[in-house]
Amino acid sequence: MNLHYLIVYLVETLLRFIPIPCKTGLIKIGNPDSNSPVILTCNYHLTVEKVRRALDGMDVNLLVANSRGINVWCSAAGGLFTNHDVVSVLKTSGIEEIVDHRNVILPQLAATSIEGNIIQKKTGWKVTWGPVYADDLPHFIKNNFKKTVEMRKVKFSLVQRVEMAVAWAFPITVIMIPIMSIFWSSAVFSLTLLIWFLSFSIFVSFPLYADYLSSEDKRIGIAFFDFSRSGFHLILWGIVVLCLVIYSVLIGDFSWRFIFSWGFISLIVVLILSLDLMGSTPVYKSSLTEDRFLKVALDKNKCNGCGFCEQVCPRNCFEVDRNRHIAAMPEAVRCVQCGACIVQCPFNALYFRSPEGEIILPQTIRKFKLNLMGKRLVKVKEN
Amino acid sequence: MKILESSPGRYDMGIRILTLGRLDGVYDRLTAYIIKGQKVLDIGCGSGALTLRAAQKNAKVKGIDINPLMLEIAQNRANEAGLTQNIELCEMGVAELGSEESESYDVVMSGLCFSELSEDELGFTLKEAKRILKIGGFLLIADEVRPKNIFKRIVNWLIKIPLVIITYLIAQTTTNSVRNLPERVEEAGLQIESVRFNKMGNFIELVARRPEETTK
Repeated sequence: MNLHYLIVYLVETLLRFIPIPCKTGLIKIGNPDSNSPVILTCNYHLTVEKVRRALDGMDVNLLVANSRGINVWCSAAGGLFTNHDVVSVLKTSGIEEIVDHRNVILPQLAATSIEGNIIQKKTGWKVTWGPVYADDLPHFIKNNFKKTVEMRKVKFSLVQRVEMAVAWAFPITVIMIPIMSIFWSSAVFSLTLLIWFLSFSIFVSFPLYADYLSSEDKRIGIAFFDFSRSGFHLILWGIVVLCLVIYSVLIGDFSWRFIFSWGFISLIVVLILSLDLMGSTPVYKSSLTEDRFLKVALDKNKCNGCGFCEQVCPRNCFEVDRNRHIAAMPEAVRCVQCGACIVQCPFNALYFRSPEGEIILPQTIRKFKLNLMGKRLVKVKEN
Repeated sequence: MKILESSPGRYDMGIRILTLGRLDGVYDRLTAYIIKGQKVLDIGCGSGALTLRAAQKNAKVKGIDINPLMLEIAQNRANEAGLTQNIELCEMGVAELGSEESESYDVVMSGLCFSELSEDELGFTLKEAKRILKIGGFLLIADEVRPKNIFKRIVNWLIKIPLVIITYLIAQTTTNSVRNLPERVEEAGLQIESVRFNKMGNFIELVARRPEETTK
Protein backbone atom coordinates (compact mmCIF):
# COMPACT_ATOMS: atom_id res chain seq x y z
CA MET A 1 0.00 0.00 0.00
CA ASN A 2 1.59 3.27 -0.95
CA LEU A 3 1.87 6.13 1.48
CA HIS A 4 -0.08 8.66 -0.57
CA TYR A 5 -3.10 6.39 -0.75
CA LEU A 6 -2.85 5.55 2.94
CA ILE A 7 -2.90 9.23 3.95
CA VAL A 8 -5.76 10.05 1.58
CA TYR A 9 -7.70 7.04 2.83
CA LEU A 10 -7.23 7.91 6.51
CA VAL A 11 -7.99 11.62 6.21
CA GLU A 12 -10.99 11.19 3.94
CA THR A 13 -12.43 8.39 6.06
CA LEU A 14 -12.34 10.75 9.05
CA LEU A 15 -14.11 13.37 6.93
CA ARG A 16 -16.36 10.86 5.21
CA PHE A 17 -19.51 12.98 5.41
CA ILE A 18 -17.95 15.97 3.67
CA PRO A 19 -17.94 16.02 -0.14
CA ILE A 20 -14.39 16.24 -1.50
CA PRO A 21 -14.41 16.99 -5.22
CA CYS A 22 -11.51 16.36 -7.55
CA LYS A 23 -10.81 17.38 -11.13
CA THR A 24 -13.12 15.96 -13.76
CA GLY A 25 -11.99 14.64 -17.14
CA LEU A 26 -9.82 11.86 -18.49
CA ILE A 27 -7.21 9.94 -16.48
CA LYS A 28 -5.07 7.43 -18.35
CA ILE A 29 -4.12 4.38 -16.30
CA GLY A 30 -1.17 2.38 -17.65
CA ASN A 31 -0.75 2.70 -21.42
CA PRO A 32 -4.22 2.52 -22.91
CA ASP A 33 -4.57 2.24 -26.70
CA SER A 34 -7.53 2.86 -28.98
CA ASN A 35 -9.18 -0.42 -27.92
CA SER A 36 -8.74 -0.08 -24.17
CA PRO A 37 -11.85 -0.07 -21.99
CA VAL A 38 -13.39 3.22 -20.88
CA ILE A 39 -14.54 3.31 -17.26
CA LEU A 40 -16.48 6.20 -15.79
CA THR A 41 -16.77 7.20 -12.15
CA CYS A 42 -17.79 10.13 -9.95
CA ASN A 43 -15.53 12.94 -8.80
CA TYR A 44 -15.50 12.11 -5.08
CA HIS A 45 -11.77 12.18 -4.45
CA LEU A 46 -11.61 9.00 -2.36
CA THR A 47 -13.62 7.07 -4.96
CA VAL A 48 -11.27 8.15 -7.75
CA GLU A 49 -8.27 7.11 -5.65
CA LYS A 50 -9.87 3.73 -4.94
CA VAL A 51 -10.70 3.12 -8.60
CA ARG A 52 -7.17 4.04 -9.66
CA ARG A 53 -5.77 1.68 -7.06
CA ALA A 54 -8.06 -1.14 -8.16
CA LEU A 55 -7.04 -0.67 -11.81
CA ASP A 56 -3.33 -0.41 -11.08
CA GLY A 57 -1.37 -2.50 -13.56
CA MET A 58 -4.07 -2.44 -16.25
CA ASP A 59 -4.37 -0.26 -19.35
CA VAL A 60 -7.61 1.63 -18.98
CA ASN A 61 -9.10 5.06 -19.70
CA LEU A 62 -10.80 6.42 -16.59
CA LEU A 63 -13.33 9.22 -17.00
CA VAL A 64 -14.18 11.30 -13.95
CA ALA A 65 -17.62 12.92 -14.19
CA ASN A 66 -18.88 15.78 -12.06
CA SER A 67 -20.89 14.44 -9.11
CA ARG A 68 -20.23 17.51 -6.95
CA GLY A 69 -17.58 15.66 -4.96
CA ILE A 70 -20.09 13.13 -3.64
CA ASN A 71 -19.86 9.35 -3.94
CA VAL A 72 -21.69 7.58 -6.75
CA TRP A 73 -24.73 6.24 -4.91
CA CYS A 74 -25.50 9.33 -2.83
CA SER A 75 -24.99 11.79 -5.68
CA ALA A 76 -27.01 9.72 -8.15
CA ALA A 77 -29.89 9.15 -5.74
CA GLY A 78 -29.87 12.79 -4.68
CA GLY A 79 -30.04 14.13 -8.23
CA LEU A 80 -26.50 15.55 -8.20
CA PHE A 81 -25.04 13.07 -10.70
CA THR A 82 -27.15 13.07 -13.84
CA ASN A 83 -27.24 12.20 -17.53
CA HIS A 84 -25.85 15.67 -18.26
CA ASP A 85 -22.71 15.02 -16.24
CA VAL A 86 -22.05 11.75 -18.08
CA VAL A 87 -22.77 13.28 -21.50
CA SER A 88 -20.51 16.19 -20.63
CA VAL A 89 -17.45 14.13 -19.74
CA LEU A 90 -17.93 11.87 -22.80
CA LYS A 91 -18.10 14.83 -25.17
CA THR A 92 -15.66 17.29 -23.61
CA SER A 93 -12.85 15.13 -22.19
CA GLY A 94 -11.45 14.29 -25.62
CA ILE A 95 -12.00 10.54 -25.11
CA GLU A 96 -13.74 10.31 -28.48
CA GLU A 97 -10.47 11.13 -30.24
CA ILE A 98 -8.56 8.54 -28.22
CA VAL A 99 -10.56 5.33 -28.50
CA ASP A 100 -12.20 3.73 -31.54
CA HIS A 101 -15.03 1.99 -29.73
CA ARG A 102 -18.02 3.62 -28.04
CA ASN A 103 -18.53 1.45 -24.95
CA VAL A 104 -18.43 3.00 -21.51
CA ILE A 105 -18.64 1.15 -18.20
CA LEU A 106 -20.60 2.94 -15.49
CA PRO A 107 -20.73 2.03 -11.81
CA GLN A 108 -23.88 0.03 -11.14
CA LEU A 109 -24.95 2.29 -8.28
CA ALA A 110 -25.29 5.20 -10.73
CA ALA A 111 -28.27 3.38 -12.22
CA THR A 112 -30.57 5.23 -9.83
CA SER A 113 -30.07 8.30 -12.01
CA ILE A 114 -28.16 7.74 -15.25
CA GLU A 115 -30.23 6.42 -18.18
CA GLY A 116 -28.26 4.32 -20.65
CA ASN A 117 -30.66 4.87 -23.54
CA ILE A 118 -30.46 8.66 -23.20
CA ILE A 119 -26.67 8.60 -23.04
CA GLN A 120 -26.62 6.48 -26.20
CA LYS A 121 -29.11 8.72 -27.99
CA LYS A 122 -27.22 11.89 -27.15
CA THR A 123 -23.64 10.67 -27.59
CA GLY A 124 -23.63 7.33 -29.36
CA TRP A 125 -21.91 5.72 -26.38
CA LYS A 126 -23.29 2.39 -25.17
CA VAL A 127 -23.56 2.06 -21.41
CA THR A 128 -22.61 -1.17 -19.62
CA TRP A 129 -23.33 -1.41 -15.89
CA GLY A 130 -20.14 -2.40 -14.13
CA PRO A 131 -19.76 -3.86 -10.65
CA VAL A 132 -20.78 -2.07 -7.45
CA TYR A 133 -17.25 -2.06 -6.00
CA ALA A 134 -14.12 -0.83 -7.74
CA ASP A 135 -12.17 -3.81 -6.43
CA ASP A 136 -14.20 -6.07 -8.72
CA LEU A 137 -13.26 -4.09 -11.85
CA PRO A 138 -10.19 -6.12 -12.91
CA HIS A 139 -12.14 -9.37 -12.60
CA PHE A 140 -15.09 -7.81 -14.43
CA ILE A 141 -12.87 -6.68 -17.32
CA LYS A 142 -11.10 -10.04 -17.59
CA ASN A 143 -14.48 -11.76 -17.44
CA ASN A 144 -15.42 -10.05 -20.70
CA PHE A 145 -17.52 -7.36 -18.98
CA LYS A 146 -19.84 -9.88 -17.33
CA LYS A 147 -20.93 -9.44 -13.74
CA THR A 148 -21.30 -12.24 -11.25
CA VAL A 149 -24.22 -12.13 -8.81
CA GLU A 150 -21.80 -11.15 -6.03
CA MET A 151 -20.56 -8.14 -8.03
CA ARG A 152 -24.09 -6.72 -8.10
CA LYS A 153 -24.63 -6.68 -4.35
CA VAL A 154 -23.93 -3.94 -1.83
CA LYS A 155 -22.33 -5.26 1.33
CA PHE A 156 -21.71 -3.86 4.79
CA SER A 157 -18.45 -5.65 5.47
CA LEU A 158 -16.35 -5.30 8.59
CA VAL A 159 -14.04 -2.82 6.83
CA GLN A 160 -17.00 -0.67 5.81
CA ARG A 161 -18.43 -0.85 9.31
CA VAL A 162 -15.13 0.30 10.82
CA GLU A 163 -14.99 3.12 8.27
CA MET A 164 -18.51 4.18 9.23
CA ALA A 165 -17.64 4.04 12.95
CA VAL A 166 -14.68 6.35 12.29
CA ALA A 167 -16.75 8.62 10.06
CA TRP A 168 -19.25 9.16 12.88
CA ALA A 169 -16.85 9.21 15.82
CA PHE A 170 -14.53 11.86 14.40
CA PRO A 171 -17.02 14.69 13.79
CA ILE A 172 -18.80 13.98 17.09
CA THR A 173 -15.46 14.22 18.87
CA VAL A 174 -14.64 17.47 17.10
CA ILE A 175 -17.98 18.97 18.07
CA MET A 176 -18.17 17.67 21.64
CA ILE A 177 -14.63 18.38 22.81
CA PRO A 178 -14.94 22.21 22.74
CA ILE A 179 -18.28 21.98 24.53
CA MET A 180 -16.85 19.69 27.20
CA SER A 181 -13.72 21.77 27.67
CA ILE A 182 -15.94 24.66 28.75
CA PHE A 183 -18.09 22.72 31.18
CA TRP A 184 -15.89 19.86 32.35
CA SER A 185 -12.40 20.14 30.96
CA SER A 186 -10.88 17.30 32.97
CA ALA A 187 -13.23 14.79 31.31
CA VAL A 188 -12.24 15.52 27.70
CA PHE A 189 -10.00 12.49 27.32
CA SER A 190 -12.51 10.09 28.85
CA LEU A 191 -15.22 11.52 26.62
CA THR A 192 -13.15 10.96 23.50
CA LEU A 193 -12.58 7.35 24.50
CA LEU A 194 -16.29 6.93 25.18
CA ILE A 195 -17.33 8.33 21.79
CA TRP A 196 -14.96 6.07 19.86
CA PHE A 197 -15.82 3.04 21.97
CA LEU A 198 -19.57 3.52 21.47
CA SER A 199 -19.24 4.22 17.77
CA PHE A 200 -17.17 1.10 17.21
CA SER A 201 -19.49 -1.07 19.33
CA ILE A 202 -22.56 0.10 17.43
CA PHE A 203 -21.17 -0.38 13.94
CA VAL A 204 -18.92 -3.40 14.42
CA SER A 205 -21.69 -5.35 16.16
CA PHE A 206 -24.16 -4.44 13.39
CA PRO A 207 -24.72 -8.05 12.17
CA LEU A 208 -25.83 -9.03 15.70
CA TYR A 209 -28.89 -6.81 15.64
CA ALA A 210 -29.32 -6.12 11.91
CA ASP A 211 -32.12 -8.64 11.65
CA TYR A 212 -34.16 -6.75 14.23
CA LEU A 213 -33.98 -3.46 12.36
CA SER A 214 -36.80 -2.78 9.98
CA SER A 215 -37.33 0.05 7.56
CA GLU A 216 -41.04 -0.17 8.08
CA ASP A 217 -41.04 0.65 11.76
CA LYS A 218 -42.43 3.98 12.69
CA ARG A 219 -39.94 5.81 14.82
CA ILE A 220 -40.73 5.48 18.48
CA GLY A 221 -39.87 7.87 21.27
CA ILE A 222 -38.03 10.94 20.18
CA ALA A 223 -38.83 11.71 16.59
CA PHE A 224 -35.30 11.57 15.26
CA PHE A 225 -33.81 8.35 16.35
CA ASP A 226 -33.55 4.83 15.02
CA PHE A 227 -34.41 2.85 18.09
CA SER A 228 -36.42 0.51 16.04
CA ARG A 229 -38.13 -2.52 17.54
CA SER A 230 -35.14 -3.80 19.40
CA GLY A 231 -34.29 -0.61 21.23
CA PHE A 232 -30.76 -1.83 20.67
CA HIS A 233 -29.12 1.42 21.56
CA LEU A 234 -30.92 1.68 24.83
CA ILE A 235 -29.66 -1.81 25.62
CA LEU A 236 -26.14 -0.74 24.74
CA TRP A 237 -26.59 2.35 26.86
CA GLY A 238 -27.80 0.17 29.73
CA ILE A 239 -24.62 -1.90 29.45
CA VAL A 240 -22.50 1.25 29.55
CA VAL A 241 -24.29 2.44 32.71
CA LEU A 242 -23.89 -1.00 34.27
CA CYS A 243 -20.17 -0.90 33.49
CA LEU A 244 -20.00 2.53 35.13
CA VAL A 245 -21.63 1.18 38.28
CA ILE A 246 -19.33 -1.87 38.42
CA TYR A 247 -16.29 0.34 37.79
CA SER A 248 -17.17 2.75 40.57
CA VAL A 249 -17.90 -0.07 43.01
CA LEU A 250 -14.62 -1.78 42.12
CA ILE A 251 -12.51 1.31 42.71
CA GLY A 252 -14.43 1.72 45.97
CA ASP A 253 -15.57 5.26 45.25
CA PHE A 254 -19.23 4.89 44.35
CA SER A 255 -21.03 8.16 43.77
CA TRP A 256 -24.41 8.88 42.19
CA ARG A 257 -22.99 12.04 40.75
CA PHE A 258 -20.41 10.05 38.76
CA ILE A 259 -23.01 7.55 37.49
CA PHE A 260 -25.50 10.26 36.65
CA SER A 261 -23.15 12.57 34.75
CA TRP A 262 -21.48 9.84 32.69
CA GLY A 263 -24.76 8.07 32.18
CA PHE A 264 -26.21 11.27 30.76
CA ILE A 265 -23.21 11.98 28.53
CA SER A 266 -23.17 8.44 27.14
CA LEU A 267 -26.90 8.68 26.43
CA ILE A 268 -26.30 11.80 24.35
CA VAL A 269 -23.48 10.11 22.45
CA VAL A 270 -25.64 7.04 21.79
CA LEU A 271 -28.48 9.24 20.58
CA ILE A 272 -26.24 11.17 18.18
CA LEU A 273 -24.78 7.93 16.84
CA SER A 274 -28.29 6.61 16.26
CA LEU A 275 -29.35 9.72 14.33
CA ASP A 276 -29.30 7.89 11.06
CA LEU A 277 -27.97 4.45 11.82
CA MET A 278 -29.88 2.66 9.09
CA GLY A 279 -29.04 5.38 6.58
CA SER A 280 -25.34 4.90 7.41
CA THR A 281 -25.52 1.38 6.06
CA PRO A 282 -25.96 0.39 2.42
CA VAL A 283 -28.42 -2.35 3.35
CA TYR A 284 -31.22 -0.23 4.80
CA LYS A 285 -33.02 2.89 3.72
CA SER A 286 -32.44 5.90 5.96
CA SER A 287 -35.14 6.13 8.58
CA LEU A 288 -35.13 9.91 8.22
CA THR A 289 -37.05 9.83 4.97
CA GLU A 290 -40.57 8.72 4.22
CA ASP A 291 -39.24 7.00 1.08
CA ARG A 292 -38.66 3.89 3.16
CA PHE A 293 -42.37 3.12 3.12
CA LEU A 294 -42.46 2.91 -0.67
CA LYS A 295 -42.84 -0.47 -2.33
CA VAL A 296 -41.67 -1.36 -5.81
CA ALA A 297 -44.62 -2.69 -7.80
CA LEU A 298 -44.51 -4.64 -11.05
CA ASP A 299 -47.01 -4.30 -13.88
CA LYS A 300 -47.00 -7.85 -15.23
CA ASN A 301 -48.68 -6.82 -18.46
CA LYS A 302 -45.84 -4.46 -19.34
CA CYS A 303 -42.96 -6.67 -18.16
CA ASN A 304 -41.00 -8.33 -20.92
CA GLY A 305 -38.54 -10.25 -18.75
CA CYS A 306 -35.57 -8.35 -20.21
CA GLY A 307 -33.79 -8.45 -16.88
CA PHE A 308 -32.48 -4.87 -16.61
CA CYS A 309 -33.94 -4.74 -13.09
CA GLU A 310 -32.01 -7.83 -12.07
CA GLN A 311 -28.79 -6.35 -13.45
CA VAL A 312 -29.00 -3.06 -11.54
CA CYS A 313 -30.62 -4.12 -8.24
CA PRO A 314 -27.92 -3.77 -5.54
CA ARG A 315 -29.93 -6.03 -3.20
CA ASN A 316 -30.69 -8.90 -5.59
CA CYS A 317 -34.44 -8.56 -5.06
CA PHE A 318 -35.32 -9.70 -8.57
CA GLU A 319 -35.51 -13.02 -10.29
CA VAL A 320 -36.24 -13.21 -14.00
CA ASP A 321 -38.03 -16.20 -15.47
CA ARG A 322 -36.29 -16.50 -18.85
CA ASN A 323 -38.81 -19.02 -20.15
CA ARG A 324 -41.94 -17.12 -19.25
CA HIS A 325 -40.27 -13.75 -19.95
CA ILE A 326 -41.32 -12.14 -16.72
CA ALA A 327 -39.62 -10.68 -13.64
CA ALA A 328 -40.60 -11.30 -10.04
CA MET A 329 -39.44 -9.89 -6.71
CA PRO A 330 -39.07 -12.87 -4.40
CA GLU A 331 -36.75 -10.88 -2.14
CA ALA A 332 -38.71 -7.61 -2.12
CA VAL A 333 -38.18 -7.37 1.63
CA ARG A 334 -34.50 -6.51 1.01
CA CYS A 335 -35.38 -3.48 -1.14
CA VAL A 336 -33.70 -0.21 -0.10
CA GLN A 337 -35.91 1.97 -2.34
CA CYS A 338 -32.98 3.16 -4.45
CA GLY A 339 -35.23 3.25 -7.52
CA ALA A 340 -32.60 1.90 -9.93
CA CYS A 341 -34.88 -0.84 -11.30
CA ILE A 342 -37.67 1.66 -11.95
CA VAL A 343 -35.40 4.16 -13.69
CA GLN A 344 -33.83 1.48 -15.91
CA CYS A 345 -36.92 -0.53 -16.91
CA PRO A 346 -37.29 0.03 -20.69
CA PHE A 347 -40.99 -0.89 -20.58
CA ASN A 348 -41.96 1.30 -17.61
CA ALA A 349 -43.24 -1.85 -15.93
CA LEU A 350 -42.01 -0.89 -12.47
CA TYR A 351 -43.17 1.94 -10.22
CA PHE A 352 -43.33 2.93 -6.55
CA ARG A 353 -46.47 2.57 -4.51
CA SER A 354 -46.86 4.30 -1.14
CA PRO A 355 -48.76 2.72 1.79
CA GLU A 356 -51.64 5.12 1.04
CA GLY A 357 -51.83 3.69 -2.45
CA GLU A 358 -50.28 6.67 -4.24
CA ILE A 359 -48.47 5.73 -7.41
CA ILE A 360 -45.13 7.30 -8.30
CA LEU A 361 -44.47 6.81 -11.98
CA PRO A 362 -41.07 6.04 -13.54
CA GLN A 363 -40.97 9.36 -15.39
CA THR A 364 -41.37 11.23 -12.09
CA ILE A 365 -38.49 9.33 -10.55
CA ARG A 366 -36.33 9.84 -13.62
CA LYS A 367 -36.98 13.55 -13.49
CA PHE A 368 -36.68 14.24 -9.78
CA LYS A 369 -34.49 11.29 -8.71
CA LEU A 370 -34.88 10.16 -5.15
CA ASN A 371 -35.36 13.10 -2.90
CA LEU A 372 -34.52 16.08 -5.03
CA MET A 373 -36.10 18.97 -3.20
CA GLY A 374 -38.81 16.67 -1.91
CA LYS A 375 -40.56 17.03 -5.23
CA ARG A 376 -40.92 13.36 -5.92
CA LEU A 377 -43.52 12.81 -3.25
CA VAL A 378 -45.81 15.29 -4.90
CA LYS A 379 -48.97 13.35 -5.62
CA VAL A 380 -49.06 12.00 -9.12
CA LYS A 381 -52.18 10.63 -10.74
CA GLU A 382 -51.86 7.51 -12.78
CA ASN A 383 -52.58 8.06 -16.43
CA MET B 1 -24.30 30.29 -7.29
CA LYS B 2 -25.13 26.74 -6.35
CA ILE B 3 -26.73 27.58 -3.03
CA LEU B 4 -29.48 29.43 -4.83
CA GLU B 5 -29.77 26.96 -7.61
CA SER B 6 -30.67 24.14 -5.27
CA SER B 7 -33.79 26.16 -4.54
CA PRO B 8 -34.67 27.66 -7.88
CA GLY B 9 -37.73 29.42 -6.51
CA ARG B 10 -35.51 31.79 -4.56
CA TYR B 11 -32.79 32.11 -7.15
CA ASP B 12 -33.70 35.48 -8.57
CA MET B 13 -34.15 37.24 -5.27
CA GLY B 14 -30.97 35.70 -3.88
CA ILE B 15 -28.89 36.70 -6.89
CA ARG B 16 -30.24 40.24 -6.68
CA ILE B 17 -29.17 40.50 -3.04
CA LEU B 18 -25.76 38.94 -3.61
CA THR B 19 -24.92 41.16 -6.53
CA LEU B 20 -26.47 44.17 -4.80
CA GLY B 21 -28.76 44.75 -7.72
CA ARG B 22 -25.89 45.37 -10.13
CA LEU B 23 -26.63 42.34 -12.24
CA ASP B 24 -29.64 44.00 -13.88
CA GLY B 25 -27.40 46.77 -15.19
CA VAL B 26 -24.83 44.27 -16.45
CA TYR B 27 -27.46 42.23 -18.28
CA ASP B 28 -29.03 45.37 -19.78
CA ARG B 29 -25.66 46.53 -21.11
CA LEU B 30 -24.91 43.12 -22.62
CA THR B 31 -28.29 42.65 -24.25
CA ALA B 32 -27.95 46.09 -25.84
CA TYR B 33 -25.96 44.26 -28.55
CA ILE B 34 -29.04 42.30 -29.56
CA ILE B 35 -31.35 43.64 -32.25
CA LYS B 36 -34.77 42.68 -33.51
CA GLY B 37 -35.12 39.45 -35.42
CA GLN B 38 -31.72 38.04 -34.50
CA LYS B 39 -31.22 34.43 -33.53
CA VAL B 40 -29.81 34.16 -30.01
CA LEU B 41 -28.55 31.28 -27.86
CA ASP B 42 -28.53 31.61 -24.05
CA ILE B 43 -26.17 29.05 -22.50
CA GLY B 44 -27.22 28.18 -18.94
CA CYS B 45 -30.31 30.36 -19.11
CA GLY B 46 -31.43 29.44 -15.58
CA SER B 47 -34.57 31.29 -14.64
CA GLY B 48 -34.32 33.26 -17.87
CA ALA B 49 -32.89 36.65 -16.87
CA LEU B 50 -30.96 37.08 -20.14
CA THR B 51 -33.39 35.08 -22.25
CA LEU B 52 -36.35 37.30 -21.40
CA ARG B 53 -34.38 40.49 -22.00
CA ALA B 54 -33.42 39.28 -25.46
CA ALA B 55 -36.95 38.11 -26.23
CA GLN B 56 -38.32 41.53 -25.28
CA LYS B 57 -36.19 42.92 -28.08
CA ASN B 58 -38.00 40.60 -30.44
CA ALA B 59 -35.06 38.33 -30.99
CA LYS B 60 -35.64 34.58 -31.37
CA VAL B 61 -34.00 33.08 -28.30
CA LYS B 62 -33.11 29.51 -27.49
CA GLY B 63 -32.35 29.03 -23.80
CA ILE B 64 -30.55 25.89 -22.67
CA ASP B 65 -29.97 24.68 -19.10
CA ILE B 66 -29.41 21.34 -17.39
CA ASN B 67 -31.71 22.09 -14.46
CA PRO B 68 -35.32 21.21 -15.32
CA LEU B 69 -36.67 23.10 -12.32
CA MET B 70 -35.00 26.33 -13.40
CA LEU B 71 -36.37 25.84 -16.90
CA GLU B 72 -39.86 25.49 -15.47
CA ILE B 73 -39.48 28.87 -13.80
CA ALA B 74 -38.14 30.39 -16.99
CA GLN B 75 -41.08 28.96 -18.91
CA ASN B 76 -43.55 30.42 -16.43
CA ARG B 77 -41.92 33.81 -16.66
CA ALA B 78 -42.00 33.65 -20.45
CA ASN B 79 -45.70 32.82 -20.30
CA GLU B 80 -46.41 35.71 -17.94
CA ALA B 81 -44.49 38.15 -20.11
CA GLY B 82 -46.31 36.89 -23.20
CA LEU B 83 -43.04 36.15 -24.95
CA THR B 84 -43.46 32.45 -25.64
CA GLN B 85 -43.38 32.89 -29.41
CA ASN B 86 -39.84 34.29 -29.14
CA ILE B 87 -38.51 31.76 -26.65
CA GLU B 88 -37.56 28.12 -26.98
CA LEU B 89 -36.33 26.40 -23.81
CA CYS B 90 -34.37 23.15 -23.87
CA GLU B 91 -33.01 20.86 -21.16
CA MET B 92 -29.57 20.52 -22.64
CA GLY B 93 -25.98 20.81 -21.44
CA VAL B 94 -23.07 22.54 -23.16
CA ALA B 95 -21.74 19.13 -24.19
CA GLU B 96 -24.70 18.79 -26.56
CA LEU B 97 -23.97 21.99 -28.49
CA GLY B 98 -22.66 19.74 -31.25
CA SER B 99 -26.28 19.31 -32.37
CA GLU B 100 -26.54 23.03 -33.25
CA GLU B 101 -25.82 24.02 -36.83
CA SER B 102 -22.63 25.88 -37.72
CA GLU B 103 -22.93 29.65 -38.27
CA SER B 104 -26.55 29.69 -37.21
CA TYR B 105 -26.60 32.25 -34.40
CA ASP B 106 -26.20 36.02 -34.39
CA VAL B 107 -25.53 36.09 -30.66
CA VAL B 108 -24.41 33.52 -28.10
CA MET B 109 -24.68 34.71 -24.50
CA SER B 110 -24.16 33.32 -21.02
CA GLY B 111 -24.74 34.77 -17.56
CA LEU B 112 -23.26 33.14 -14.43
CA CYS B 113 -22.84 29.79 -16.14
CA PHE B 114 -19.20 29.53 -17.21
CA SER B 115 -18.10 29.61 -13.56
CA GLU B 116 -19.91 26.32 -13.08
CA LEU B 117 -18.19 24.52 -15.95
CA SER B 118 -15.12 22.34 -15.66
CA GLU B 119 -11.93 23.25 -17.53
CA ASP B 120 -12.75 20.75 -20.28
CA GLU B 121 -16.32 22.00 -20.57
CA LEU B 122 -15.26 25.64 -20.79
CA GLY B 123 -12.81 24.94 -23.60
CA PHE B 124 -15.40 22.88 -25.43
CA THR B 125 -18.10 25.53 -24.99
CA LEU B 126 -15.93 28.35 -26.34
CA LYS B 127 -14.94 26.24 -29.34
CA GLU B 128 -18.55 25.37 -30.05
CA ALA B 129 -19.70 28.97 -29.49
CA LYS B 130 -17.30 30.07 -32.20
CA ARG B 131 -18.52 27.37 -34.56
CA ILE B 132 -22.21 28.13 -34.22
CA LEU B 133 -21.80 31.91 -34.38
CA LYS B 134 -22.24 33.63 -37.73
CA ILE B 135 -19.26 35.62 -38.98
CA GLY B 136 -19.31 38.87 -37.01
CA GLY B 137 -21.71 37.37 -34.45
CA PHE B 138 -21.37 38.34 -30.79
CA LEU B 139 -20.42 36.29 -27.75
CA LEU B 140 -21.68 37.99 -24.57
CA ILE B 141 -20.50 36.79 -21.14
CA ALA B 142 -21.24 37.97 -17.61
CA ASP B 143 -19.62 35.92 -14.87
CA GLU B 144 -17.62 35.59 -11.71
CA VAL B 145 -13.90 35.53 -12.38
CA ARG B 146 -10.74 35.24 -10.34
CA PRO B 147 -9.24 38.74 -9.89
CA LYS B 148 -5.86 39.18 -11.56
CA ASN B 149 -4.48 41.55 -8.99
CA ILE B 150 -3.13 39.52 -6.08
CA PHE B 151 -4.29 42.08 -3.51
CA LYS B 152 -7.81 42.10 -4.87
CA ARG B 153 -7.70 38.34 -4.97
CA ILE B 154 -6.98 38.23 -1.25
CA VAL B 155 -9.70 40.76 -0.39
CA ASN B 156 -12.12 38.90 -2.62
CA TRP B 157 -11.18 35.66 -0.94
CA LEU B 158 -11.81 37.09 2.53
CA ILE B 159 -15.22 38.39 1.49
CA LYS B 160 -16.10 35.12 -0.16
CA ILE B 161 -15.12 32.82 2.69
CA PRO B 162 -18.31 33.23 4.74
CA LEU B 163 -20.38 32.79 1.59
CA VAL B 164 -18.40 29.75 0.55
CA ILE B 165 -18.80 28.17 3.99
CA ILE B 166 -22.56 28.73 4.01
CA THR B 167 -22.86 27.47 0.45
CA TYR B 168 -20.79 24.43 1.30
CA LEU B 169 -22.84 23.57 4.36
CA ILE B 170 -26.13 23.82 2.56
CA ALA B 171 -25.38 22.73 -0.98
CA GLN B 172 -22.10 20.86 -0.30
CA THR B 173 -20.42 22.57 -3.17
CA THR B 174 -18.61 25.74 -4.14
CA THR B 175 -18.49 27.89 -7.20
CA ASN B 176 -15.20 28.15 -8.95
CA SER B 177 -14.37 31.48 -10.47
CA VAL B 178 -13.13 31.38 -14.02
CA ARG B 179 -9.45 32.09 -14.55
CA ASN B 180 -8.10 34.03 -17.50
CA LEU B 181 -11.43 34.19 -19.29
CA PRO B 182 -10.44 36.86 -21.87
CA GLU B 183 -7.32 34.86 -22.78
CA ARG B 184 -9.33 31.70 -23.18
CA VAL B 185 -11.88 33.44 -25.38
CA GLU B 186 -9.04 34.63 -27.60
CA GLU B 187 -7.50 31.16 -27.68
CA ALA B 188 -10.79 29.86 -29.00
CA GLY B 189 -10.33 32.18 -31.99
CA LEU B 190 -12.78 34.91 -31.02
CA GLN B 191 -11.93 38.58 -31.15
CA ILE B 192 -12.49 40.59 -27.99
CA GLU B 193 -14.53 43.77 -28.46
CA SER B 194 -14.73 44.97 -24.89
CA VAL B 195 -13.97 43.72 -21.39
CA ARG B 196 -15.29 45.39 -18.29
CA PHE B 197 -14.45 44.34 -14.73
CA ASN B 198 -16.19 45.57 -11.59
CA LYS B 199 -14.12 47.41 -8.96
CA MET B 200 -13.28 44.21 -7.10
CA GLY B 201 -12.08 42.63 -10.29
CA ASN B 202 -14.17 39.54 -9.58
CA PHE B 203 -16.96 40.07 -12.09
CA ILE B 204 -16.52 40.34 -15.83
CA GLU B 205 -18.64 41.63 -18.68
CA LEU B 206 -17.11 40.43 -21.89
CA VAL B 207 -18.10 41.06 -25.48
CA ALA B 208 -16.35 39.14 -28.25
CA ARG B 209 -16.95 38.64 -31.98
CA ARG B 210 -16.34 35.90 -34.44
CA PRO B 211 -13.77 37.54 -36.72
CA GLU B 212 -14.05 37.57 -40.50
CA GLU B 213 -10.76 35.95 -41.43
CA THR B 214 -11.80 32.63 -39.98
CA THR B 215 -14.19 31.67 -42.72
CA LYS B 216 -14.75 27.98 -43.33
